[in-house]
Amino acid sequence: MTTTTVTRSAARVVDAVKVYGTGDTSVRALDGVSVDFPVGRFTAIMGPSGSGKSTLMHCAAGLDTLTSGTAHIGETELSSLDDRRLTLLRRDRVGFVFQAFNLVPTLTVAENITLPLDLAGGKGDREWIDALIDVVGLRDRLHHRPSELSGGQQQRVAVARAFAGQPDVVFADEPTGNLDSRSGGEVLGLLGRAVRHTARTVVMVTHDPVAAAHADEVVFLADGRLVDRMESPTAEKVLDRMKAFEVPS
Amino acid sequence: MSAMNASVRLSLSSLRAHKRRFAGTFLAVFLGVAFLTGTLVMGDTLRAGFDTMFGNATSGTDAVVRSADAITTPGESEGVREPVDTDLVTTIEKVPGVAAAAPDIQGAGQLVGRNGDPIGGQGPPTLAGNWIADPELNAYQLAEGRAPQKSGEVVIDRGTAERGDLNIGDTTTLRTPDPVKVTVVGLATFGGEDGMAQVTFTGMTRADAEKYLTAGPGEAASIQVRAGPGVTQQELVDKLDPVLPKGVEAITGQESAEENTDMISSQFLTLFTTFLLVFSGVALLVATFSIHNTFAIVVAQRTRENALLRALGASRRQVTASTLVEATAVAVTASLAGLAGGIGIAAGLQALFPAIGFPFPESHLVISALSMALPLAVGVVVCLGSALLPAARAGRTAPLAALRETAVDTSAASRLRAVTGLGLLALAVGVTLSGVLVTPSLWLAGTGAVLALAAFVALGPVASTTAVRILGGPLDRLRGVTGGLARRNALRSPKRTAATTGALMIGVAVVSLFTVFGASLKATMDQTVSRSFAGDVAVSTPSFGAGGSGLSPRLADAVQRLPEVDTAVGLGRGVAEVDGKGRALTVTDPVALERTFDLGNVRGSLRDLGTDGIAITEKEADKQHLTTGDTTQLTFTDGRQQTFTVRAVYGQSELAGDYVITRDAWAPHRTQDADTLLAVSFKDGVSTEAGQAAVEKVAGQYGNPEVQTRDEYAQSSAGGIDMMLTLVYALLALAVLIALLGIANTLTLAIHERTRELGLLRAVGQTRSQLRAMVRWESVLVAAFGTVGGLTLGAFLGWVLVKASDGASDSTFAFAMPPLQLAVVALVGLTAGALAGLRPARRAARLDVLRAIATE
Repeated sequence: MTTTTVTRSAARVVDAVKVYGTGDTSVRALDGVSVDFPVGRFTAIMGPSGSGKSTLMHCAAGLDTLTSGTAHIGETELSSLDDRRLTLLRRDRVGFVFQAFNLVPTLTVAENITLPLDLAGGKGDREWIDALIDVVGLRDRLHHRPSELSGGQQQRVAVARAFAGQPDVVFADEPTGNLDSRSGGEVLGLLGRAVRHTARTVVMVTHDPVAAAHADEVVFLADGRLVDRMESPTAEKVLDRMKAFEVPS
Repeated sequence: MSAMNASVRLSLSSLRAHKRRFAGTFLAVFLGVAFLTGTLVMGDTLRAGFDTMFGNATSGTDAVVRSADAITTPGESEGVREPVDTDLVTTIEKVPGVAAAAPDIQGAGQLVGRNGDPIGGQGPPTLAGNWIADPELNAYQLAEGRAPQKSGEVVIDRGTAERGDLNIGDTTTLRTPDPVKVTVVGLATFGGEDGMAQVTFTGMTRADAEKYLTAGPGEAASIQVRAGPGVTQQELVDKLDPVLPKGVEAITGQESAEENTDMISSQFLTLFTTFLLVFSGVALLVATFSIHNTFAIVVAQRTRENALLRALGASRRQVTASTLVEATAVAVTASLAGLAGGIGIAAGLQALFPAIGFPFPESHLVISALSMALPLAVGVVVCLGSALLPAARAGRTAPLAALRETAVDTSAASRLRAVTGLGLLALAVGVTLSGVLVTPSLWLAGTGAVLALAAFVALGPVASTTAVRILGGPLDRLRGVTGGLARRNALRSPKRTAATTGALMIGVAVVSLFTVFGASLKATMDQTVSRSFAGDVAVSTPSFGAGGSGLSPRLADAVQRLPEVDTAVGLGRGVAEVDGKGRALTVTDPVALERTFDLGNVRGSLRDLGTDGIAITEKEADKQHLTTGDTTQLTFTDGRQQTFTVRAVYGQSELAGDYVITRDAWAPHRTQDADTLLAVSFKDGVSTEAGQAAVEKVAGQYGNPEVQTRDEYAQSSAGGIDMMLTLVYALLALAVLIALLGIANTLTLAIHERTRELGLLRAVGQTRSQLRAMVRWESVLVAAFGTVGGLTLGAFLGWVLVKASDGASDSTFAFAMPPLQLAVVALVGLTAGALAGLRPARRAARLDVLRAIATE
């Protein structure tokens, strides 16, 4: 461990290797990636298709296991946890926003937001959740079913749910992939505000430079390796960097 | 043609891919077909066996001379015939072409085994007769020892000898029903077998037979005739006809053998065929639900695939055909397996019968084309019929559906369905109630029952929403978010929930119906005995079947003489035609009858019936417009007619019968005297134990019939019902098994459809055990809905059956709900739900979170 970090990390992976399959057909989705996601930061992971960005997120979030290397949430090393502990860790310390299928269709908006808390059997912090509902602006929709909401509204509910348990880190996987630009902008703004106003940590996988521009920092992945980092990104800068990947090598 | 091949190929590949999904369908069709095949093969085999046996036994008899007319009372298959005059034998012997003729005297005679217990009598008849010296005319062949030569010597069939542990030289009692001391001098076989199934036979000298088995000498049940060389059976009959007096007929030996085969194989088969056919029916009924549901699911799941086919140019018919081909493949496979299973059942029973002391005539399994074709056809038709609707729905898939997300029909039940269902229900209740309460009719009630079933099926989706909401109400509180999710999942697709539970509902309904009916029958028996039997103990012959020789009429007199006894009344049974219809008469001492039985409200007097008076129940009197003082014609089995005056009309009939005449009135027409029941009441101050002991002592001298207290008597009357209920629970197990597979199927499908959602739940922190619990609870809820529906339907139908029987028959039926048994049925249903959920829950828990949430 030679990396010296001034800030505490909410999540990090060290020498992460992920190999799918065996023998000739094996694919190295992650090939020795070390990256940490500091507390209170909004980090975007970018890269072309097949670069391993989703795999990185899944492994960092405890949804998938590494072939070698380590993944940590806070100070907890994930490979030592069995399925049950991993589940409890996700429930209590991690939040998720996915591209689609983010909500349970049989539950109301309010129930979806408190789902992780209900699964844990706790009450959660009522004031915090109340504030969240106002932040995502869905107070008048609390008793609706997901099917009665627009895509943007559904994603805002997902964001509220992700933050409801006051997790150490929220992972977002292409949260705007299914949304039009205006709704997408709202959701990204929401994520950004959550980080800056409540000192939460968000890690977002995206392939959209405009989305990445909402982040504090962008890390670039290609062929399973970390190839670049960019502080204070703008859409143009990110787009230029991405174009470099498309040059046939 | 090649397009057709494409749809065949598609269906077969989809079958291979989803073998497990068809397990429930397969099992249901398999069982239904197997039971049906088993029944048919078993029937053919038994018949063939008996045919051979009777053919062998009576091959020497070319013609049988007997009375032409038989009086048949309601509920009896075999009529009672007037005896023929034995003087006819000499007339017949003189007919050219007759080689020999012998009278066949037949009556009831029950042997007592070495251990003092009577042999047989639990159904098959216990016969006694004269030992016919001519070995060709005698159906029994002497196997060991010699023929009876003097009074008291008998030949018995070997099977009976083995059952009673009797050997040549042994002395035992023959109940005719008067106890006769007999010595076994020979053992006989019947048609090469040890006996004629479970029928017991005792052959005595002709003098003994005439003395004990007939009212007087000179009477025989029939005359067996053997033809001379070169005379066919038909020629013999033609020659005999002219010399026979009016009312006497001759039939060929072959006809007689066939009649015997029919009689005995129907007696044998009734129990087993009824049992197997009910099983088969329930299995097939449940199968229709299971098949329909499975295919509905398959079609729903394949919406996009079918839509793509349609978009690519497949015709509506091709898509429908591919589903039907799939159904046919399942139907044929399951039916063929069922045929094999049915043959197995028949073979098993054939092997089992001898092992439980039930001689089964030796025969190879007879497998006819019909007993193969019919079950196969039924299996395929049921399967295809049930798949028809889903197949048509598949054909209607719009090509555009390929572009939409996999559509699950979550639409709530339509208003039309609710209205139709409620209309049906109202109609069902109306028809039933009028069939039960207004104009009692089993037909009307039956129609109502079928309508009620239809209404339940139609209303299923409507009711499932409300029912699951109510049943699952406590889950939210008890199981938190897991329970709440389970409840809402069960509510997602009301139609599917209803269809899934259909099989379970039917199964539970059938079982509850029988449970309620059985309990009601028991209550009825209990009530009958406690209401109309005023005696302290009863001496009776076995309550089921006409077997046994009955009780000696002299037993009543002997018991009456006991110092402990106040009244002992024997009830004999006579047969006569009243008003042109065969009726059972109660032959007894009417005065004593009135003292020991509560006859209800009596008009007129039972005191002076004399030899030309009769007492009738109110019900029968009303039917025939008779009242005290009127006269009615009775025709007896001896062909004589006599006018009787109605001297009394009484209210209750259950144990006393509908028609009562005195022993004196019956005496001229009697054949072999026997009482079926002896009711005894003790003098004041005599304890039941002391009285019972005294009666038992006397009964010991009369062949040792069973002496029961009132309660024991009531219980033994209801004994057969428990056996029926045991069979019904086997039926429950079967239906539940099929239903269980159906529920598991649906859940597995639902889990497949909800892969993403389950992945999401796992991602945001649902533990595996929480996920398993969620699926299991959904399963239990669905099962609870089916169970409650089935219980309601079954209890209602049970009530209808009891009430309709009450209204339509002469006897009064009591209605009883057995809470314990019904609770057990409910528990079994719920447990089935929990079990059905196990595998799908395990599967769901194994789900890979990443795969589940991966987009596309």
